[in-house]
Amino acid sequence: MRVVVGDQTGFAFTEDLTPASMLQAARTAATIASGAHATLPAHFDPRRQGDLYPVKRPWSEIGLNEKLPLIQKVESLLRAADPAIDKVTVQLTDTDERVLIATLDGRLLADRRPSALLGLMVTAKRGDQTQSNMVSLGARDGIDFYTDDRLKAQVDEVAARTLVLFDARRPPAGEMPVVLAAGASSVLLHEAIGHGMEADFNRIGTSIYSDMIGKPVAAPFVTVVDQGNLPHELGTLNMDDEGNATGRAVLVEKGILKSYLHDNISARHYGIAQHVGSGRRESYRYSIMPRMTTTFMENGPHTRDEIVASIQHGIIAETFTGGQVAIGPGDFTFYVKNGWLVENGKITAPIKDVNLIGNGPEALKRITMVADDFKLDPGGWVCGKNGQSVPVSIGMPSALVSRMTVGGENV
Amino acid sequence: MSDHDTTATDTLLKLAQQAVEMARAAGANDAWATAVQDSSLSYAFRDGKPETVSDSTKRGLELKLYVDGRYGVYSTTDLREAHLRDFIREAVPLTRQLQADPQRRITPPALFPTASAAALQLVDPRIAGLTREQRLAWCRELEAAVSGEPTLISATSSVEDGHKLVADASSNGFSGAYGKTSVGFFQQVSLRDRGPGGREGGSERRAEGDDGAACLHLDDLPSTARIGEQTLARARARLGSRQGPTMKGTLVVEPRAARRLVSDLLAPATAGNISQGQSFWPKLIDTQALSDKLTIIDDPLRPRGLESHPYDREGIAARPLTLIERGVPKAVYADTYYAAKTGLPVTTGDPSNQIVQPGERALAEIIRAVGDGVLVTAWAGGNADPTTGAFSQGLNGHIIRGGEIAEPVIGMIVTGNLKTLFASLVEVGNDPFLYTALRTPTLVFEGVQFSGAGNSHPVA
Repeated sequence: MRVVVGDQTGFAFTEDLTPASMLQAARTAATIASGAHATLPAHFDPRRQGDLYPVKRPWSEIGLNEKLPLIQKVESLLRAADPAIDKVTVQLTDTDERVLIATLDGRLLADRRPSALLGLMVTAKRGDQTQSNMVSLGARDGIDFYTDDRLKAQVDEVAARTLVLFDARRPPAGEMPVVLAAGASSVLLHEAIGHGMEADFNRIGTSIYSDMIGKPVAAPFVTVVDQGNLPHELGTLNMDDEGNATGRAVLVEKGILKSYLHDNISARHYGIAQHVGSGRRESYRYSIMPRMTTTFMENGPHTRDEIVASIQHGIIAETFTGGQVAIGPGDFTFYVKNGWLVENGKITAPIKDVNLIGNGPEALKRITMVADDFKLDPGGWVCGKNGQSVPVSIGMPSALVSRMTVGGENV
Repeated sequence: MSDHDTTATDTLLKLAQQAVEMARAAGANDAWATAVQDSSLSYAFRDGKPETVSDSTKRGLELKLYVDGRYGVYSTTDLREAHLRDFIREAVPLTRQLQADPQRRITPPALFPTASAAALQLVDPRIAGLTREQRLAWCRELEAAVSGEPTLISATSSVEDGHKLVADASSNGFSGAYGKTSVGFFQQVSLRDRGPGGREGGSERRAEGDDGAACLHLDDLPSTARIGEQTLARARARLGSRQGPTMKGTLVVEPRAARRLVSDLLAPATAGNISQGQSFWPKLIDTQALSDKLTIIDDPLRPRGLESHPYDREGIAARPLTLIERGVPKAVYADTYYAAKTGLPVTTGDPSNQIVQPGERALAEIIRAVGDGVLVTAWAGGNADPTTGAFSQGLNGHIIRGGEIAEPVIGMIVTGNLKTLFASLVEVGNDPFLYTALRTPTLVFEGVQFSGAGNSHPVA
């Protein structure tokens, strides 16, 4: 139960579903609203909204007799992929989440949210060296999503990512050009701009982007979008957790900062009558906040080959394990597991285990080339904020950041 | 414990026992049930008024089933008797569909505890009597401690308290329960940073600072004024931060930040990681692999310790565990299953209060002795590979020059390997941060690689 008065929130939940416990929770939530009055709706109007993730059979109807063979198939493929592969873990997590929202204006909204995440973790041995890596494949979809072709592609991917680590090293330390490979490099967008554009930080003035709407923040070929209605993506929702329809929010349009991501509280604060629903929460145990869904950059005018050829000494960042940002100063980091060294316009050697650090507005200004090879990453990304985790999706084309600090080693 | 607690604990224990009986009746060979009730209340203040009030009551039951050599774990929050019976009737045949796993066995009674939880002082009865007025008064005190700051953009001050009850029962005779209270003050501030020079993006930085303390007993909390003072000091220290250089040198890590490094070092110290080949620890055990300044003990029996407990989640009696003794890794976390898989001795699967043994000097004295280097006050994100020990972490901190704390720095990364880093530990301070389960003092490392501004290669 959430009671909202202006920008104040009273929130309570109980898993002790006795009337006494529920009444106590409601009373605590309502303490925020002393003196305010609400009118109860005459009746609730039940409805469903959107159909962005239809599945033939919900996960709750899929038994172990179908899930176990899927896992065993992947395990066999992994063990056969290369003799150096020593240990294998395959993990399938599925959910069949049902959400029902009742609001004071009489809406009664229902959503059923499937999701599946297959994780492949590999440890390989060569001589006395050991290396590990992982991939994941997730979607708001049913078991049919895991086709043989998709599974084989993931197995090949994780085997290649792991085995290349034996030959990989760390690049030199310091500032250099960084190519963000198409796909998962959008971790940078998520950290460098996405979180800073969540309106809860901006309405209280604590984000570095608080005073920048309408200002140029990047080159004219840079457009960054958060879109919650792409079919079957993990970040997708038929409605957000306040019952608002999801859609396309343009954060940066042709280099100009355009709009924040809103929940109802921030939309009211900014006087926005209709907003793309970005109010999310991990579950009924948590309060709602503005969050990202699927965050991506659109294609630009360059090619990947042109980008690589333009670099004298730099790196390509290809796979990632995560990132982090401080909203106020805008400083962010993200961690590269696999990548490549680029010397004199050529890819010369694999690299590994590199942290990249930068500042959001600075990094956006330094995006000097964007290619035309857009890719959504198929991995299962989870975004953390104020102790809550929600699934998100990310994607982008290859792009060049002209200068970033790379956590390398000078020997 | 109050009468109310005793009744609630009895109810949970009966529930756990009932679930075990239902599991046996449904055909399980063995069963272990854990029932938990966890209530918490938090008040957050911003700009002179309450911003959020949150009240949560979690109740749930976890059931581990051992059926014909197979093992499954199930949990539910619907504790009505009829539902529970149906839930368990479905879980038992589901477990039969899994592969046999002979190393999964219920915890043997020889490992069960014999002492009660009373000596651990896990419950402060005064927390149950806290009023809304008292919590709001603390929020106001926290806010008053920072509200005079002229560059203040926003301050959020919060008070949180809670009470958790845990009860366990098993088919081979385990029966146990304990409660634990918690209370904490937390604060975050954001300051307008009109530091030197404009940013390339034309934006204005905000300097952030936070402080907080969590304890089991009210008496152990610092004052609200102290929290406010620390929060402001930490934010002010970030004003005017600039990128530090690429360099090699001495790394001094404040106690709060040092937790990250110790946590990364200990993360692969588990039989589970070793079983999956994802740990650099096996080669280090019983060798002088790390600095002799480093001793780490896991102590679940520390009175009023945040992670103290009379027994772990498998029912194994709590006892201190020496993980590293004078630089020699001695033991890892091993539950009954992964101990059986790896051949390692059973210790526990659950980390508790991880205590880095303190040294002689405090931070200020250490800084004077170090002369030149980098002081880390917080990490800005990064990663550590449990398989190889390779790590890389962004940092916020200060340059140390001439034995003094100098300009604040950002945009720097420490890169290396945890094994070589902790082999290069030259000093441990005497100043552990007291309000987290992992307690470490200041740590000092030599010969560390920092990446920052500048590069030996031409920039395109």
